[in-house]
Amino acid sequence: MGTQSPSYRRSQEDKLSPEELERYDRQLRLLGFGIESQLKLKRARVLVVGVGGLGSAAALYLASAGVGLLRIIDDGYVELSNLNRQILYDTGDIGKRKVDVAAKRLRDLNPEIEVEALGEKLTEENVREMLSNADLAVDCLDNFRTRFILNDACVELEKPLIHGAIYGAEGRLMTIIPGMGPCLRCLIPHEPTEHDKIPVLGPLPGIVGALEALEAIKVITGLGEPAIGKLIVIDGMDLSFHTIEIKRNPNCPACRKIK
Amino acid sequence: MRVIVKSFATLREIFGGTGMLYLELPEGSTIEDLLEKLREQYGSKLDVGKLVGENPNVKILVNGREITYLNGLRTRLRDGDSVAFIPPVAGG
Repeated sequence: MGTQSPSYRRSQEDKLSPEELERYDRQLRLLGFGIESQLKLKRARVLVVGVGGLGSAAALYLASAGVGLLRIIDDGYVELSNLNRQILYDTGDIGKRKVDVAAKRLRDLNPEIEVEALGEKLTEENVREMLSNADLAVDCLDNFRTRFILNDACVELEKPLIHGAIYGAEGRLMTIIPGMGPCLRCLIPHEPTEHDKIPVLGPLPGIVGALEALEAIKVITGLGEPAIGKLIVIDGMDLSFHTIEIKRNPNCPACRKIK
Repeated sequence: MRVIVKSFATLREIFGGTGMLYLELPEGSTIEDLLEKLREQYGSKLDVGKLVGENPNVKILVNGREITYLNGLRTRLRDGDSVAFIPPVAGG
């Protein structure tokens, strides 16, 4: 795995350097956050699956927040048509492997953290290995099929999964904690039709990706109330946020076995 | 009576531009009646039943509450109610 890390990091997991205290100063000032939350972020290992529109925003905010290990996964290359929304990349990056550009950008942003870049597609065969030793996964994918693979593995390994998705000027968000609330298959019981080259207004994946980072931070630190069993539907056109209560499906093929 | 139908994502493209649709319905109409009305209106273009009514992936909300927790397709509508059809999306 393409890792690059300050070698002192693991041994310094129980404290923050003066630089870290300054870097994270504004979030350390947040009521109820404190050093302990920052150390939880520092010790956290987070999988970001997909570094497109959602993954750009989510990974940037997770890196800047100080998540100790970010493992980013994507088998794509930067294309000109990505640039209306995928804010990790510049025009000069066209043709480059996304994870390489993204990893460099994230390490430049925050040299205190470790970034692992995996330029592969997530599959039923490799998903468990990718999730191994990860505390949480962030769904920044662009299709249902791979989302279900990730969901099923997260449910099986009982790892939290932050689900985000977009279409046009709309967004969706739900936090999945296996056993505590519904999973993706409870939300979407039938395999839907896949759509290629969907419309996307650039800010929407930015909004949803940022919200996914927020949910991940909340789950890691234990702060606030994550959107478990709540589907957040964002309509950018009239700027309305709808919260829809989603219940566990007792017959869910993925999560029914978890108590 | 008049209800507002709000459709999202791929359904918005089918029902037309803004996603907002005003429908006149007889008093006491249900979601099923509303779907029938849409079928009349869009009959040749789409099977509203298959797309919305019989598709468990599409959340149908009346005034923000999912009809599964009301009376399903037999949920009664009142004048001024807002009905939303929300399909899942997969973009990233």
